[in-house]
Amino acid sequence: MSEPAKTKAQLDEEFAALYRTHMRDLYSYAYYRIGNHHDAEDLVEQTFLQAYRHFERAQRESDGRPLRPWLLRIAHNLAANHYRYRSRRPQTSLEESGPVAALHSTEELVSGRDELARVLEGVKRLPDDRREALIMRFALGMDNREIARALGRTDGATKVLLHRAIKQLESLVALAEAGA
Amino acid sequence: MSGPGNVESLLREALSPVEPPADLASRVTSRLQSISDHAADELENWELAAMRDPRNWLRPALALLGGGAAGAGLVLLRLHQRQRRDAESGSEAAHAGDGDAH
Repeated sequence: MSEPAKTKAQLDEEFAALYRTHMRDLYSYAYYRIGNHHDAEDLVEQTFLQAYRHFERAQRESDGRPLRPWLLRIAHNLAANHYRYRSRRPQTSLEESGPVAALHSTEELVSGRDELARVLEGVKRLPDDRREALIMRFALGMDNREIARALGRTDGATKVLLHRAIKQLESLVALAEAGA
Repeated sequence: MSGPGNVESLLREALSPVEPPADLASRVTSRLQSISDHAADELENWELAAMRDPRNWLRPALALLGGGAAGAGLVLLRLHQRQRRDAESGSEAAHAGDGDAH
């Protein structure tokens, strides 16, 4: 037997709880993905607005599974559109359109620690999908299955993606160390 | 650098979670609230506007007529059934009376 439909007030309350729970994760993802606070805030806001429209269906179809990968999937798609949109505007400066143009205060945090700075620099240079997988694993603490759901991949493909991301990052950091 | 384990621990340190600005949650809340209010207003206005437009009266009128016709049909059917039942029980009584007479 199907459950009775929830009232709007119930749904709103549950949605408020959802965004209170995941606001920091979404913001961390957006920040490391986009590279500046202004656009990260915008991305988080757009993600929650879009999530709100489809929340009832997502709840129904999630079958009790956590909704964090679903939120990140929305953010992931919006971030991809963000770069597509920017790449169609030639008047935008390279610095603005480049991925993770300025990696924020973490850079200030890691100043004086060359190793960390080199790792962050390496993360910036990774292809988008590898960078995203690393952000989800290390900034958000997601496991392979959650990352797979967020990126729309299989668990196996996600494991390979993470492995390759770490290998590539090691090479980039080693190159930077050699050049230093 | 000494290997994957080291990169992973450095990554954990470098990619530390970032706190969102304090007012972001309240901004999202008020944005959602305004969307919700706007949608409710739109619906109310749309319903009122729809009621004022005579082109939209046809469907409820047809529904009313259809409902009325179906109701009348049901009443007639019931009456017809009752008449048949009365007639049948009358003729059975008559037959029974005939049997008693013989």
